[in-house]
Amino acid sequence: MAEIKKDLFYTESHEWVKVEDNIATVGISDYAQEQLGDIVYAEAVEEDTEISVEDVVGSVESVKMASDIYAPVAGKIIAANVDLEDEPEVINEDPYGSWFVKIEMSDPANLDMLLSADAYEKLIEGE
Amino acid sequence: MKKTPLNEKHKSLGARMVEYAGWEMPVQYEGIAAETIAVREKCGIFDVSHMGEVYVAGESAGDFLDWLLSRRVTGKEREQITYAIMCYDDGGVVDDLLVYTFADYYLLIVNAANKDKDLLHMADSLTSFVARNPEAKGKVAIEDWSDRYAQLAIQGPDSLEMILKVRDLLDLTSEQEQVLSSLKRYRNLELSPTEGLPMFISTTGYTGERGYEIYASDTKVIELWDALLAAGCVPCGLGSRDALRLEAGLPLYGHEMSAEINPLDAGMDFFVKFDREFQGEAMQGQNTRKIVRLVAQGKQIPRDGYPVFYDEEEVGYVTSGTYSPTLLKGIANALVRVDLPDDVKELAVEIRNKRIMFDVTDKFLG
Repeated sequence: MAEIKKDLFYTESHEWVKVEDNIATVGISDYAQEQLGDIVYAEAVEEDTEISVEDVVGSVESVKMASDIYAPVAGKIIAANVDLEDEPEVINEDPYGSWFVKIEMSDPANLDMLLSADAYEKLIEGE
Repeated sequence: MKKTPLNEKHKSLGARMVEYAGWEMPVQYEGIAAETIAVREKCGIFDVSHMGEVYVAGESAGDFLDWLLSRRVTGKEREQITYAIMCYDDGGVVDDLLVYTFADYYLLIVNAANKDKDLLHMADSLTSFVARNPEAKGKVAIEDWSDRYAQLAIQGPDSLEMILKVRDLLDLTSEQEQVLSSLKRYRNLELSPTEGLPMFISTTGYTGERGYEIYASDTKVIELWDALLAAGCVPCGLGSRDALRLEAGLPLYGHEMSAEINPLDAGMDFFVKFDREFQGEAMQGQNTRKIVRLVAQGKQIPRDGYPVFYDEEEVGYVTSGTYSPTLLKGIANALVRVDLPDDVKELAVEIRNKRIMFDVTDKFLG
């Protein structure tokens, strides 16, 4: 069973979101890394990029599949995890420790659209 | 969804199952990369029971197949297997397949996704063939034998050793064991029938490694699967099968060949013989594209459908792209304009709106 951390928010496209003050940190869920399989490529969009909800903020690829990572909130990317490019396999080992971007939120109301851990658990049970 | 006789075995091994060509098939067990490496270094086993088997018999069967396919099946040793391409009149591809020859019939091994279409095409072709050769009327029979056979592929440098460990289940005589040990590629060895069904093993596969494929009844294939796993074969799914075939430079229907991509475009000239009449001969001179092989300079992975550029001009697209677990980088086949110079050393692939340079290579593996 995929691990779901209770203290995080989630999206229907399987990102996790950690909210601290005005900063949203984004990665992919344990379920997402399981579905992808061996992750062999990862990249995050550069710092200082202004983004809207559902803009692409990163990409992750396994042997067979390529998948984009979408912004769960609008704002500015204030940090991009470039280390993932050299060690994409850590996403398989530690999905909740492998963040892609940190976003300074411009509209905290975006958070209302995110899924709770319980709602996300129901979502993946249905897949 | 159709299930192979090994469906429960796959699930009990924790395989991730997917729908493929109407079948519920394992895409991976431990992981695509580990399975690919197991085949390159030791031995993997694949359930390929979804493949279609089409029986063709009768006095005019050989002549019909010679006309239906891109190269002759007649006039060869009985144990020799023929890889051939079945084309529409314009040269577009219906399917690619293997032809096995038995005492009084042929067996065509076809892609699962194409089997129903193949049978319809073959029925139409037989009508055309009889119109051209009235003496062949009533002398060709075509039957779908797919439900009779399950199939295993055992692939990798240790495959012979694995096969010999299950010699009792295959009912191999010591003479057959000798023959099998020195059998050349693309040969067939007929074994004792099981449950009235002719069983056979061939030196074929879709991985670029030494390997064998066994065609047998459902019950026999279940017994062989268990015994071969116990012998040390690593279970491999469709994911590694696709990575292995692409690394080996082998085409896949729907990617490198299709109704819109003829065998000459796909670089399969060796398997098309124009020294006679056959269905699809109109492809001659209709060769507007070619397949090139691309290997990554950096970390990016080319994927199916990505556009390919030469000197800022779009010249084609990726037909199959993957991360190669053997080379540890992205590789692809691309279909490009045939007039692209042969000595081009680099082409760009557009990946997420960026043009990334890839090396052009003759083959991926050494």
